Amino acid sequence: MATVASAGRVRREDQVAHWWRRFLLLALSVVLLAFTLMVIVPFIWMLVMSFRTTGEILAEPYGLPTRLSLENYHRLFFDPAIRFSRYFVTSAFVSGVALVLTSVLSTMAGYGFGRTRYHFRLRSPLFGILLLALMLPPQILYLPQFTMMGRYGLLGSRWSLVLLYTATALPVSIYLMATYFSQLPGELEDAARIDGCTEFRTFWQVMLPLSRPALATVILLNFLHFWNELLLAVTMVTDPALRTLPAAMMMFVGEHGSNYAIAAASLVSAMLPVLILYLVLSDKFIEGLTAGALKGA
Amino acid sequence: MAQAVSTPDGRPLAAAVRHRRATRRPWTAIVLFIAPAMIFFALFVLYPLLATVYYSFHNIVPTGGQLHTVFAGLDNYRALIADEIFHLSVKNTLIWGVAGPIIEMGTALTLAFIVYYKVPLHRFYRVAWFTPMLVSGVIVGLVFRWIFNYDWGLLNVGLRAIGLENLALNWLGTREWPLWVVIFVHYWSTFGYSFILLLAGLTAVPEELLDAARVDGATPLQTITRVLLPLLRPTFITVLILSFMGKMRAFNITWVLTGGGPMHYSETVATYVQKRAFAWRSLDLGYPSAMSVVWFGVVLLGVGLINRWLKRHAD
Repeated sequence: MATVASAGRVRREDQVAHWWRRFLLLALSVVLLAFTLMVIVPFIWMLVMSFRTTGEILAEPYGLPTRLSLENYHRLFFDPAIRFSRYFVTSAFVSGVALVLTSVLSTMAGYGFGRTRYHFRLRSPLFGILLLALMLPPQILYLPQFTMMGRYGLLGSRWSLVLLYTATALPVSIYLMATYFSQLPGELEDAARIDGCTEFRTFWQVMLPLSRPALATVILLNFLHFWNELLLAVTMVTDPALRTLPAAMMMFVGEHGSNYAIAAASLVSAMLPVLILYLVLSDKFIEGLTAGALKGA
Repeated sequence: MAQAVSTPDGRPLAAAVRHRRATRRPWTAIVLFIAPAMIFFALFVLYPLLATVYYSFHNIVPTGGQLHTVFAGLDNYRALIADEIFHLSVKNTLIWGVAGPIIEMGTALTLAFIVYYKVPLHRFYRVAWFTPMLVSGVIVGLVFRWIFNYDWGLLNVGLRAIGLENLALNWLGTREWPLWVVIFVHYWSTFGYSFILLLAGLTAVPEELLDAARVDGATPLQTITRVLLPLLRPTFITVLILSFMGKMRAFNITWVLTGGGPMHYSETVATYVQKRAFAWRSLDLGYPSAMSVVWFGVVLLGVGLINRWLKRHAD
């Protein structure tokens, strides 16, 4: 009899624990969903606003769109006075060229710094300077960079942005590549050399393909940084026609500040390319941003 | 056999090998790999950095239609000591540099553990929480300027709707709140990266260790405090330093959201340097440079302190 009673008690305790756990999980989910709401509400609000007209928004700020109108987007891209698309072209050009330059320079330098085979006496101090530059708030450099670009006649040119973006991205990129390269086994390198590969071919055909996770991190991190950068863009390039997307956005919302509908449409379309890329690739995207970043930690 | 092994020309073998290795060091390859990046770096980063230090001891004086740099000694640094706005901006930046990472690391770590233990919807959370990090600070600033608008902003409208009328404050127009709004919005846009890095650190913990803990009868809490947290430590320190540096250099969101105002109550060193260097068109080189040098010093000090403090506690 005693065993039956205790078994019943155990079962009841089990059940209590079970319900208690379910309740806790539910409470946790409510908190997490509320938190997630805080994260995504701004996006939803912008999206809804971009499909309405300014008149509707002024009359009732929080209504839903009465009809799905793409008018704001149409005006944004086809109104000759706005022609928002040209800023996409500028941003794509600047980010693209800077990205290629950064990738080439940082993989090569990362390889040179990372492999023990290449260790030379000045390596540590040079690498130390790079690490120091990692902690540099980039703004500290803007005044001299500004006068420098002025001296070489590059002020107001998009090339000034390409050069400066690349240069400021180098320390972190070289650091990521170097730590990743330094963890690859040396046997492959030796095998390649015995097979008669030159130093450069060993790097290009054997080691570089192995460093793809780190390269993905470098490319994604820098792409986000270049695509979103504001301060250098407004400092170095003042010609309205040559603005990058963030700079144009800042001015655009300043000028059309009371035209909420089209301002919202401009915000949505500016973040859309990156967001689509992210939602399509999300796991790969996250993996890419983290794989190389923590190797050296 | 006590004699050292030597080469035919009489030199000890070890030395000869060392010598050959040294001469065989592929200098051409080293130079080809490293030089392009280092030249770029020296030209556009190192030179400007040294120039900033140089400028900070000089002033620009217009004489006869031309600009001349004149040595000013420590004048610019002395002026910093007297500059009330600079004091305020340093204070704000430091408040942010301390409060920001604490809030961010606290929540990011909690959220990383929650997703690590695969609560329902964890895949959705992971994708959603990371999204803000992809959006430009300009867009974030503009959107939140609307959200925190006193009259029709989403926040105040929401608060009034649920009857919390007296909590609907003038967020961006008063003395106390703008800095905290900036801190919050920056947190909103960056916590996702800290979260994702910490989560990656957690998932990298080898399965065998967790099995071992289970076999030894560790409770879930013990597994967290004795296995996961200690192994996460290096990642945690890295992410903390990244977070700290992010707050110290944050510019876009502050600039768009409040512009450092009202009355410099949300001014940070980043926005103040920008104002003195460019926005006020004061044509001043020395003063903002001195500010920048101090700023870099503070960042280095902060990173050094975090490193030292956490390393010491590790032993």
